[in-house]
Amino acid sequence: MEIMHKLASHLKTRLVELNRAKQQGRKIVGYTPGGYLPEELILASGAIPICLIRGGDHSVVELTGAYLCRWIDTFCRAQIGYAVSGDDPYYSIVDLLAIPITDNHIRAISDITDHSTDIEVFPFGVPHMKEESTFSYYLHGITRLKAKLEALTGTEITKPKLREAISLCNRERELFREISLMRKSGPVPISSRDFVALNHASFLADKEVMVEILESLYKELKGRIALPDGHPRILLTGSTLAMGDSRVLDLIDEAGGEVVIEEFAEGIRPYWENVNPDGDLMKALAECYFMQRVPPAWFRPGNERRDFLIKLAKDFNVDGVIWYQLMYRESYKTESYYFPDKLKRDTGLRMLTVESDYDPSEMGPLRTRIETFIETIRGKRHG
Amino acid sequence: MANYYDELLKICGFEDGEIKKEKLRIDKTFERLELGPEDMKTAEEWVRQNHDVELAGVRKLLRAWLKELLDMVLAKDEGKKIIYYGFPTIQGPGMAIKAAAPEELYVACPDVVLCHTLGQIFNKLTPVLEAGEENGLPPGHGLCTLQTIRVGGLAKGIIPVPDLVTGSSYYCDMGSKTDELLHEKYGHRAVYVDGSMDSRWGEYPEYLPQRVEFLGGQLNKLFEAVREVVGVEVTSAAWDKAMSISRHLFHSIGQLTQLAMADPMPISSVEVGLALQLSAGSTGKAITEGPEAIDILCQEVKQRIDRGIGVVEKGAPRVIDFAASFSDPSITHMMENAGLAVAATLLSAPPPKSIQPTTYTTPGEIRAEREMQSGIYHSSFGFAQRFVDAVKDLGLDGVIWGYQYNCRPMAEASHLIKEWVAESAGVPVLSLEMDIYDSRSYSAAALRTRVEAFAETLRVRKAVAKV
Repeated sequence: MEIMHKLASHLKTRLVELNRAKQQGRKIVGYTPGGYLPEELILASGAIPICLIRGGDHSVVELTGAYLCRWIDTFCRAQIGYAVSGDDPYYSIVDLLAIPITDNHIRAISDITDHSTDIEVFPFGVPHMKEESTFSYYLHGITRLKAKLEALTGTEITKPKLREAISLCNRERELFREISLMRKSGPVPISSRDFVALNHASFLADKEVMVEILESLYKELKGRIALPDGHPRILLTGSTLAMGDSRVLDLIDEAGGEVVIEEFAEGIRPYWENVNPDGDLMKALAECYFMQRVPPAWFRPGNERRDFLIKLAKDFNVDGVIWYQLMYRESYKTESYYFPDKLKRDTGLRMLTVESDYDPSEMGPLRTRIETFIETIRGKRHG
Repeated sequence: MANYYDELLKICGFEDGEIKKEKLRIDKTFERLELGPEDMKTAEEWVRQNHDVELAGVRKLLRAWLKELLDMVLAKDEGKKIIYYGFPTIQGPGMAIKAAAPEELYVACPDVVLCHTLGQIFNKLTPVLEAGEENGLPPGHGLCTLQTIRVGGLAKGIIPVPDLVTGSSYYCDMGSKTDELLHEKYGHRAVYVDGSMDSRWGEYPEYLPQRVEFLGGQLNKLFEAVREVVGVEVTSAAWDKAMSISRHLFHSIGQLTQLAMADPMPISSVEVGLALQLSAGSTGKAITEGPEAIDILCQEVKQRIDRGIGVVEKGAPRVIDFAASFSDPSITHMMENAGLAVAATLLSAPPPKSIQPTTYTTPGEIRAEREMQSGIYHSSFGFAQRFVDAVKDLGLDGVIWGYQYNCRPMAEASHLIKEWVAESAGVPVLSLEMDIYDSRSYSAAALRTRVEAFAETLRVRKAVAKV
């Protein structure tokens, strides 16, 4: 697709653009993924948001041995590795690192970056339940972030500026949603690898360029007639799908499976809901980013997400679920024990759980397990 | 006729009449725990080896733990409504719930009870851990072993299914997820007391008032759930009553930890841990039998001090550890045998005094404010600072930072805490990856070499300082 080339070319020069913008006085605000940071606030302050979403590289994880023990999630250790390396282009460019604290793994990024690097860190809490008091706490957190961004940039985040940013981000979410929904049934017009690549790109790209690209792609896909392929349809879910961590997607692809829908706490932008552009905009942001967002496994209880996965499995007519978690993320590990029963009960589907520490030596066992799973689904279909 | 458990129970402070009176309950409990005559022989040896049973106070503490075990295992049979809380926990709510209806409720942290009984007395925790691993928390993934004990205890039918559980969602993720796993399996209600440790490194003792309001509101919510589920109203009066009756316990514990600071150290940290953790694991026997046992122990320890008796030699380097092993006393003894006086643990070190009179009015908020001030639930930095303060206040020679590897709040700052404490307290810090609940991989033998080298460093340092 031509449009994917355009995107690749934009990303290729993105760092140069960011450096130029920084030299011209614009602030760059980095943030950790998870879907709890309203980019609208950063955009409305005149700063540039970049989500620190890269992972998949074991050598970066190895750098963290001097900073913490191994029992912390692989992706989070990778972020610490990038931060402490001192030469990572993205971590080096940020003027502020905003960290929505979702669990103790993300807290490790905050504490170690704060203590061991010169990067200024701004943590704020994301509670683990949806209640009036937790909503208030989250709202208070993003209100503090708003004040911090205003102080950093010297720009007041006015209502019109915020509404404009909301409108842009809403359009991006809408387009992701529309494109994703094209995969609901029948032939799939866009591969999961491309859809995930778009998602990852949206964390780093200029927002307006990204929306333009998504608009063009949406039009192109609407006119495209995809041919039926008969590949087993897979729901891919888990804790984190980082930019650069493509092994599971590749292996599913090589085994002849087709991922038709992805659900991840980190790495896939939550695109199912939009921010209400009317009324109290800060409350509207908190509503969308905290209350309406399907929460990750570190919410307690995690029923909402598990029900959502069942719904996705049915709506996207999938043949099986692959649960991809990173090592030591205990919330996902614990859920992976009891979710398969619910899945089986409610949909009759089977689930494969795979785990990674970004270690290249995992490839062999991963390949075998994924191939066997896809083969079993095929056998079931034909049997 | 003699029972196969008489000898062990006598070592643990039971009297003949009491054993006779409790026989049916003991038989039923031991049957459920699969404890037979062979296990008693192992336990007798284990207790004699690892506990200072020549002290009546220690025997009474072991007795209190065993009686707590009986109460826990039989709680359902005896018609009690059951509420479990998690560890670590904010002190107070559990006691207040129990105080509201002491005869109707059983309120405890069951995994802590199993550690101090099946672990410390019977040395037979492994089957429970294995059952936990087979029922949802497999090994090799760094999952909390305290939670594994809870899962295993329920799977084996040792721990009765509760009516309500409440987890420390303000501190860790694992407890809450385990509560969810168990809810899926057994259907009981779980109340999550949430919070957010979102302070920056270095921010303690400052904190946002919103954190107090949030956590305080969550603690108050717990009482509402108790009313709904078990029909017990936790009033301010119940709260006051709990505080009043637990004051004696905490006063006694405070006195014991003070006495343990004498030189030579008159009592092992193992026994101080037995006393201290009664308040973390139990709201029943901790209150009814704990204070008396600790008071007796204090008297005995005073006599030892007067006579110059110590469990390590006079002048031994004095260290603070994070916590004595909950389940395996041989680990702390290994440290003491290496010549270290484990004079305090982070859990026994006196918390900082309240800065000013509180302006909060609800029990939850008052408690939450206190926890923010005390550091451990504030942030990893607050946690680290507690070590620093303890070293300075108690004049200690070193720190054993025995972090619980599968506890994420500790693992996330495993290296930062070592670095910060060493820098700020100015004493050597030994970082030891440990498991205070399950010593299958982190046994005394596995840790000995590093501890011995550390002890030698501290001895040399002390000697040089004298010159």
